[in-house]
Amino acid sequence: MDTKTKYKEPVNVLVVGVGGQGVIMVSKVLATICQERGYQVKQSEVHGMAKRGGGVFSHVRYGEQVFSPTIPKGSTDVLLALEWAEALRWVNHLKPGEGTFISDTQHIVPPFACRNRKRGAEAGYSRETPDQILSRIKDGFALDATGMARELGNERAANTILLGILSTALEFPEDTWRDVISRFVPPKTVDINLQAFDQGREWARTVHENSDLAARHRRSEKLAPAVPGPDRDEMSDFVQLDINPDWCKSCDICVKMCPERCLKLDDRLKAVLTEPDRCTGCRICEWLCPDFAITVHRTPEAAQAAVRV
Amino acid sequence: MTKTAIKKNAGKASSKNAFDVMSYLRHDLFPHFLCPGCGHGIALRALMWAIHELEIDKDRIAIVSGIGCSGRLGAYIDANTFHTTHGRPLAFAAGLKLARPDLEVIVITGDGDCLAIGGNHLIHACRRNLDITCMMLNNEVYGMTGGQVSPTTSEDRYTTTTPLGNTEAAFDACRLAEAAGAGFVGREVTVQTPTLKNLLKDAIAYNGFSFIEVISDCTEIYGRKNDLGNSPEMILSQKSQMRPNSYGGVIVDEPFRPNALPTGVLSTNARPEYGETYRNAMASAKRKK
Repeated sequence: MDTKTKYKEPVNVLVVGVGGQGVIMVSKVLATICQERGYQVKQSEVHGMAKRGGGVFSHVRYGEQVFSPTIPKGSTDVLLALEWAEALRWVNHLKPGEGTFISDTQHIVPPFACRNRKRGAEAGYSRETPDQILSRIKDGFALDATGMARELGNERAANTILLGILSTALEFPEDTWRDVISRFVPPKTVDINLQAFDQGREWARTVHENSDLAARHRRSEKLAPAVPGPDRDEMSDFVQLDINPDWCKSCDICVKMCPERCLKLDDRLKAVLTEPDRCTGCRICEWLCPDFAITVHRTPEAAQAAVRV
Repeated sequence: MTKTAIKKNAGKASSKNAFDVMSYLRHDLFPHFLCPGCGHGIALRALMWAIHELEIDKDRIAIVSGIGCSGRLGAYIDANTFHTTHGRPLAFAAGLKLARPDLEVIVITGDGDCLAIGGNHLIHACRRNLDITCMMLNNEVYGMTGGQVSPTTSEDRYTTTTPLGNTEAAFDACRLAEAAGAGFVGREVTVQTPTLKNLLKDAIAYNGFSFIEVISDCTEIYGRKNDLGNSPEMILSQKSQMRPNSYGGVIVDEPFRPNALPTGVLSTNARPEYGETYRNAMASAKRKK
């Protein structure tokens, strides 16, 4: 496929992920390789305002001649996602029935998915499993690249593992990939990144040989829960707040400092808990009450009492 | 429990028995006399919390306090407490610690008590490096006597004795203590209660003189005169004004006492503890006789 005449239309590669994962690095490696192979390349990205933890994407288009720097929706040839939710966000940009889907199954839960701040509460994160997604895509790969990279000794090499898989989808010579990757990663991490690249290629090769769907998301069952939290039954839901009105001096600190805004001053200007359901038992009101009027109980007995109230 | 045993426990919280501040208070004196929203109550909780986590027996704690709003805190603690004369808690504490080295002596004092009336005692306590923990509650004003200017009142602030705004430069108590040779110097704001608790834990476990400045708020007298808002706004603005250790070296050209204060452990000074040196000297003198 690596001949200039073959591409009348440019090849579109969309790289997506979360700030700090290396989306830009991946797309720069790819763009450099394309350039070195003599293609015209256009790359455009959204970054910066995402800082760490926000969504980042990068369009890479290469071919004999490329006009627009952005990929039209529904014409992405390869979607490379470094994070599972970002993969799902962009999956409809793939060419219907043709595009290749490569994704890490790692979950990075964005802050706004954690609106319910009760201990043990479920985050509003995507519930689709890799099985469900891959069954709808012609050529899809989902793997726990972060876990693989962690086993190699550096979690941050996950993007290079994905590059290894991408290299099998694009069929540029392997040496060019290795050469460019060594130039783009920090000098100290060249070895581990090349190892990661090999591991990605190796994984993709075994998957190509084995068309079984289950093999395409090996390791994904080892996924950590979306939000590592305490067990639900560990006095999580039930919190009892004891407010001693005789000691309360109406200073308003608990009302203003409560992150859930579930306290207020009543008509006698004493603090009261108005919305017990929203109280997470974070103890900020207890710590900051200068009058020792608030006590937070998080024991099973308190749970029983709270239920009765 | 020996000093080393305390230090061993300093790092970890005792999960077995959860902290209940009520077991450390004298309930018959409550509600306490502090004004609504006074940060001293939060600092008192942090101190009790630190003592709880260090697992120090209540009978082994001696709280010495001076005069002022801060001085009254000692009365609310269910332990051995002394309410001493103005500015002299450190002097009393020094005598107490020398006579009873087995006690954990903690001094609660205020900015006026510690830096003005007892300023001399502070620098000599720092110089001797006796194993005492001094918690100085800094609310920038003499609250109990009606809001007079204190050595830590920031410049341009209004108090009853500076109706046109304070023109004196304010003390940086931590730098004073450090220069005088204190073993452990730290500062924290009340709104960061768990952090303050950890700092106090380290200070109490430290073998030598430890000086902790707690930035407290005086809402009723100081805040009202200076339009600093109610207590929630005051404690939040303290937080936004502070500069954690990680800012070290970033801010240059500081005034004598900048409004943006560094917090955390500011300095440690590994010097011989005075009580031990004194007892060794006495023992060798006796042997010579």
